[in-house]
Amino acid sequence: MTLLPSVGRELSNPPSDGISNLRFSNSSDHLLVSSWDKSVRLYDANADSMRGEFKHGGGAVLDCCFHDESSGFSACADHKVRRIDFNAGKEDILGMHDEPVRCVEYSYAAGQVITGSWDRTIKCWDPRAASGPERSQIGTYKQPERVNSLSLVGNHLVVATAGRHVNIYDLRNMAQPEQRRESSLKYQTRCVRCYPNGTGYALSSVEGRVSMEFFDLSEAAQAKKYAFKCHRKSEDGRDIVYPVNAIAFHPIYGTFATGGCDGFVNVWDGNNKKRLYQYSKYPTSIAALSFSRDGGLLAIASSYTFEEGDKPHEPDAIFVRNVNEIEVKPKPKVYPNPPA
Amino acid sequence: MAKDPILQVETTCGSLLYELQVIIWDEVGETETDRDKMLLELERECLEVYRRKVDQANRCRAQLRQAIADAEAELAAICSAMGERPVHNTRQSDQSLGSLKQELGTILPELEEMQKRKTERRNQFLFVLEEIENITNDIKGQGELVLPKPPIDETDLSLRKLEELHCHLQALEKEKSDRVETIRKHLCTLYSHCSVLGMDFNEVVSQVNPTLTDPEGPRSLSDHTIDTLDAAVQKLREVKIQRMQKLQDLATTMLELWNLMDTPIEEQQEYQHITCNIAASEHEITQANSLSQDFIKYVEAEVVRLGEVKASKMKELVMKKRSELEEICRKTHMLPVSDSAMDQTIVAIESGIVDATLVLEHLEQHISKVKEEALSRKEILEKVEKWLSACDEESWLEEYNRDDNRYNAGRGAHLTLKRAEKARNLVNKLPVMVEALASKTIVWEQEKGIEFLYDGIRLLSMLEEYNLLRQEREEEHRRQRDHKKLQGQLIAEQEALYGSKPSPSKPLGGKKAPRMSTGGAATSRRLSLGAGMHQTPKPNKKADQRQAEGALSTGRRGLDVAGLPSRKQSMDPCEQLQSPLTRKPFSPISTTVVASKANIATPQQLVPSSKSNAVNEISSFATPVKNNNIIKNLEEEKIMMMMQTPKNVAAMIPIPSTPATISVPMQTAPTPLNNNNNARFLPEKAEVIEYSFEERRLAFMLQSESPIHV
Repeated sequence: MTLLPSVGRELSNPPSDGISNLRFSNSSDHLLVSSWDKSVRLYDANADSMRGEFKHGGGAVLDCCFHDESSGFSACADHKVRRIDFNAGKEDILGMHDEPVRCVEYSYAAGQVITGSWDRTIKCWDPRAASGPERSQIGTYKQPERVNSLSLVGNHLVVATAGRHVNIYDLRNMAQPEQRRESSLKYQTRCVRCYPNGTGYALSSVEGRVSMEFFDLSEAAQAKKYAFKCHRKSEDGRDIVYPVNAIAFHPIYGTFATGGCDGFVNVWDGNNKKRLYQYSKYPTSIAALSFSRDGGLLAIASSYTFEEGDKPHEPDAIFVRNVNEIEVKPKPKVYPNPPA
Repeated sequence: MAKDPILQVETTCGSLLYELQVIIWDEVGETETDRDKMLLELERECLEVYRRKVDQANRCRAQLRQAIADAEAELAAICSAMGERPVHNTRQSDQSLGSLKQELGTILPELEEMQKRKTERRNQFLFVLEEIENITNDIKGQGELVLPKPPIDETDLSLRKLEELHCHLQALEKEKSDRVETIRKHLCTLYSHCSVLGMDFNEVVSQVNPTLTDPEGPRSLSDHTIDTLDAAVQKLREVKIQRMQKLQDLATTMLELWNLMDTPIEEQQEYQHITCNIAASEHEITQANSLSQDFIKYVEAEVVRLGEVKASKMKELVMKKRSELEEICRKTHMLPVSDSAMDQTIVAIESGIVDATLVLEHLEQHISKVKEEALSRKEILEKVEKWLSACDEESWLEEYNRDDNRYNAGRGAHLTLKRAEKARNLVNKLPVMVEALASKTIVWEQEKGIEFLYDGIRLLSMLEEYNLLRQEREEEHRRQRDHKKLQGQLIAEQEALYGSKPSPSKPLGGKKAPRMSTGGAATSRRLSLGAGMHQTPKPNKKADQRQAEGALSTGRRGLDVAGLPSRKQSMDPCEQLQSPLTRKPFSPISTTVVASKANIATPQQLVPSSKSNAVNEISSFATPVKNNNIIKNLEEEKIMMMMQTPKNVAAMIPIPSTPATISVPMQTAPTPLNNNNNARFLPEKAEVIEYSFEERRLAFMLQSESPIHV
């Protein structure tokens, strides 16, 4: 299938198996990509060049994140949390979980690496400590279920696990979750992402829905929360519902993009409850999304996410598209439908 | 011896006579005649003396009487002058009072008294008269005629007269104060005028009368002064009005220039105090120097400056006016003045051949003309707008009718339905509208004697064209209906062949943006047979399918009845299958989906029952294939076949690949998941573990890797 130019530039040298996550750097347009092909790759999104490929021979890499411009972390299916030095091309093991590590985040506020695993724990690590799990590990915190998604904003850490549990921690006091919640959505949580303004988080489920939540427990704040349907297809009066795999917030406008197994990327204005834009369809499921630091670029991982088990699928691909302001800028509320 | 002088005199006289007669004369012996003569002489001399004395006394008495009479007369005169009762009446009744001298003695002090009073009274008169004199002089004007002395009427010094004089004095005093007030007022007015006009007040006043400038000294109060003052005030007022009008003219010009050149507000601010007086009347302008010569010169200078700026900006102005003209033309869909003509005028202005002001005026005239015309076009234009928007609605409706998903439920669907209903009404009215518009336009053209142009095209020809187009479209619709009938026959044939009808397909027009599927209609609801927002695929029973199909075709027929032509070019199955997607339909994963190895048995168990019971299970195909049971796979595939929609059947013949849309009906099978769940899986629920895609993928990965490692 030939791709229309409207989907953005496709990066060459994509991973050879499913893309588990991709993230833009905080200080450049470098893009870190983790994959089921047991590698982490570093691209220059502007130059369309692969700056490095880091394979450790362990397991599939389920998540990755930047530490700084020259290093990053990976969460691996072989239970290990690794630190990657991009320049030296060297990897060392930061620590281990008892089960595959599902997700990893680096907190600039706390200077800690936080990982979530299917061993029903989250762990905090000090990346500066001498290597060796005994030294670098700061704490282990039990979770009610297998951790599926993590998100950080300021000192807030939101942990979404199987069984629709959501735990909210304050990084300064990890002993107990600040709040224990149940997902507002009825189905399995796919992704959780905090608002850039630090007031709450968006949570997506396998059933074409996203809920918008707020940390503040006051009635006024909670009255603002809502959920909406998305990534569905109406066919002859029947709805087909797709999982929402990815959420990415625009760093400047606070609007956000969602990606689903329908291969669509939608941009939403959460405050005005409007869809701002829908990009043309991608070849297969959207596995991950990331806005660059200034929101000028959007990286899209079009990669089959195994929602229907093993089956032939379109090749995994990374697209980088320039974001028009009109696609992401909030629009003030207007008449919902043109007057008929 | 003689005690009494008269006796003594008599004695002396007798003795002397004796001595004379007896002694002397006897001795002398005078003759008797002598003696007699002598005696006669003596006697005559004596008489003479007596007579003299008597005369003297008589005269004295007369004088006395005269004095009394005089005094009385004077007294009377004084009394009469002073308006008092004469006094001498009392005196006359009292005549026995005594001798003349006594009388005189009583009358004299009276007279003196009266004279004193008279003098006093006179002084009073003098004082009042002098006052009157002063005031009169003040009023009449100094140095004009100064009367030497106030004439006093000595004969009338009565109190009544005095009273009269006092009244007169008061009247004069009042007049004086009135005049002072008048002058003060005039001076005030004069002062304010002078200050507004920027003139020297003292100079102006001293021209009128020098005494007015002296704040201490007496001021001239004469009629002349007042008149001159009045005249001066009038003159200044005229000057003021004149200047004010001039200034207002200047301000108006200034405003026009500002307006013309879009002068920034900051620059205007400086002259705000002038322009704010543009509509003020004479008495409202009181600010000092606001009408002085210098000030007017200053404003004049600014206007001249603006005028120069304007001259230099004339080209821009012409452009601006022109764009204004074009804007009006655009709004009213008239043809603007051709560009080349305009460019030529601009070239002409630049080269100085044409005076830009003339061009501007010409443009202004043109604009007003165009505005006038626009007004006459307004009514028709409104109708044209209505017609055009109706045409838009018509084309929208056309497109909408082509959308087979238009009755699908979705957000805002009811609004779209409403819109369609309105649009249909509108479209029905269109021919009438066009006819009315055409007749109106013809009337207009006849009235004006020119063609009604809409953006340069004759409106009548536009309407004609539209009518032609409409006829063509109707023709097209008719053709399509025929085509559809044919299609129906084709479908019937296929049904005969494969036992089922293809479900209606989406037109693959391509150009149309994906529309929010509309819906909410009862028929389409029925099609989904109560499926909730979360639908799971199920192996459809044929009976179900037919039922659905029946409902669907009812819906379709319903549409046709509504007379909505829809394009059916895409009915050809080959065209439908252009979709390149090979992806299998995705079914949402629910918490109850059993995907683990442990539960592999479940779908197998369910499959047979599903055939009879319409109970479905996603995992029948969504579960990663972990068992190597080929038979099961085959079975599944068989089920899949059965599950496929009739369209698929049709599609299977020409092209093997399955479009994504085709398997949709499977997923929207009627059984709500929850019921299903409660009924069948409750006992198992506690043991069910919900796995994420990644966990399943990893499990699959490890499994597929393990043989290699082993």
